[in-house]
Amino acid sequence: MYINQKIKYSLILIIPIFLMPEKAFAYLDPGTGSMIAQVMIAAFGSIGYGAVLFRKKIKEFTKRFINKLKK
Amino acid sequence: METIINQTSSFKDRTAQVVINNDDIYRIIYETGADDYEMLMNSGLYEELVQKGYLISHQETENFTDCYKTIKPQKVFITYPYEWCFSQLKDAALLTLKIQQTAMKYNMSLKDANAFNVQFFKGNPIFIDTTSFERYKDNTVWYAYNQFCCQFAAPLALMSKVDIGLSSLFLKDIDGINLKLASKLLPRRTFFDLSLFKHIHLHSFFQNQYSDTKQKININFSKLQMEFLISDLQKTILNIKMQKQKSEWGEYYGNTNYSPDSFAEKIRILENYKQKIPCSRIADFGANSGRFSRIFKDKAEIILACDIDNEAVEKNYMQVKDVNETNILPLLVDICNPSPAIGWANCERFSLFERIKNIDTILALALIHHLTIGKNLPFEKIAQTFSFLTEYLIIEFVEKNDSQVQKLLKNREDIFFDYTQQNFEDSFKIFFEIIDRQPITDTKRILYLMRKK
Repeated sequence: MYINQKIKYSLILIIPIFLMPEKAFAYLDPGTGSMIAQVMIAAFGSIGYGAVLFRKKIKEFTKRFINKLKK
Repeated sequence: METIINQTSSFKDRTAQVVINNDDIYRIIYETGADDYEMLMNSGLYEELVQKGYLISHQETENFTDCYKTIKPQKVFITYPYEWCFSQLKDAALLTLKIQQTAMKYNMSLKDANAFNVQFFKGNPIFIDTTSFERYKDNTVWYAYNQFCCQFAAPLALMSKVDIGLSSLFLKDIDGINLKLASKLLPRRTFFDLSLFKHIHLHSFFQNQYSDTKQKININFSKLQMEFLISDLQKTILNIKMQKQKSEWGEYYGNTNYSPDSFAEKIRILENYKQKIPCSRIADFGANSGRFSRIFKDKAEIILACDIDNEAVEKNYMQVKDVNETNILPLLVDICNPSPAIGWANCERFSLFERIKNIDTILALALIHHLTIGKNLPFEKIAQTFSFLTEYLIIEFVEKNDSQVQKLLKNREDIFFDYTQQNFEDSFKIFFEIIDRQPITDTKRILYLMRKK
């Protein structure tokens, strides 16, 4: 089950590779690949991360709201 | 008269530079780095980082050369990632990420994630490059991401999944272990480790794919995405664990041929030597996990506890952390092949001997037979090298009929006709004066206290 989940995540990350534009020519730029890598990693990951933060904020807001009502 | 010498390792940053002035170390900040420096100091970031022990503190001093500001940071003993054990490198990686996280709260970011910017000070990792901070620019990626992966994630993954000794690949490339090589060396099963897959294999794939692109890429990278990236890297580093190694030295103290009485006697003799000499800056070669280094810890300013064995250094570092020992610095050092000077013009990173030239005491306990019989080094060569480095030498001679020496000779021809106590003394007397010699009861070992002639 755990491995299946890992494979699923891996596929999610692999598929966009084939959607990227083909490499062009000219000078060596080792930074470009790193830039794209972090965008891809963060693009997928931050959806979940954002959701967690959002849930946390809603929880805090609800807590504050309830506390206010109690007062 | 003042002497200003540019620190030869500091020339890549165009906004600041390290200089040595009358043996003191300063960081000079140029006009180009003024805004970022002022933001660091005035935003509250510097205060928070220093208060948490993440960043070295400094004092602003008078300018002695043409620049915006001059700062004098606290002095630290400089060590390099290839001299650290697994947990030291891991702690340095986590510190770098914690600093980036804290910096982002203040709208700043680390412009590099260089492992050489982290040092070990009073038992803990500390960031020493005060001028590595810049204003965070909206929608930009973390430019230090590749550097972080090459200098922390890749070496740690290789040390964990392939071989603990692979941190030495740092010596081959000062910029760390390139991801293509790391991806090739890591076992295939790491493709199913999501963290390593993303930050090493996939990252390496993209680097390769876009290595000669000519199009300028416009990227929108939100702060939320940056925060995710840092927290994801944190998880990745935390998940890389040191594998238990079968080590010759990890259980050394359990395997020696000392009886409890002779062990206690050795400690008593060393305690006595400690009273006789200044022993302020000590290098303990063959320190193992630091049992004998610790005898000197109440007197020494710093003890470099050097050993060749990863597990022994790891154990030592864990103890330093657990007990919060501030003056013991465990280091992974092969005394027969100490770290060389590397980088541009062999001047970017200094050799180990260059850095330890102001120590005053060397401890070389139960080491001589490994150097002489294990590595074929003549006594005279060893004595001469030690005399270049230190004023005082505490050295243990292990006789040929000691079981540990016999173990070394078990499967080889004994060509060491000159391995005698007399030859040992004669050779060391060329460079040192023997102040004291104490045989350890019930052992074939003799402790010497020597002073350089």
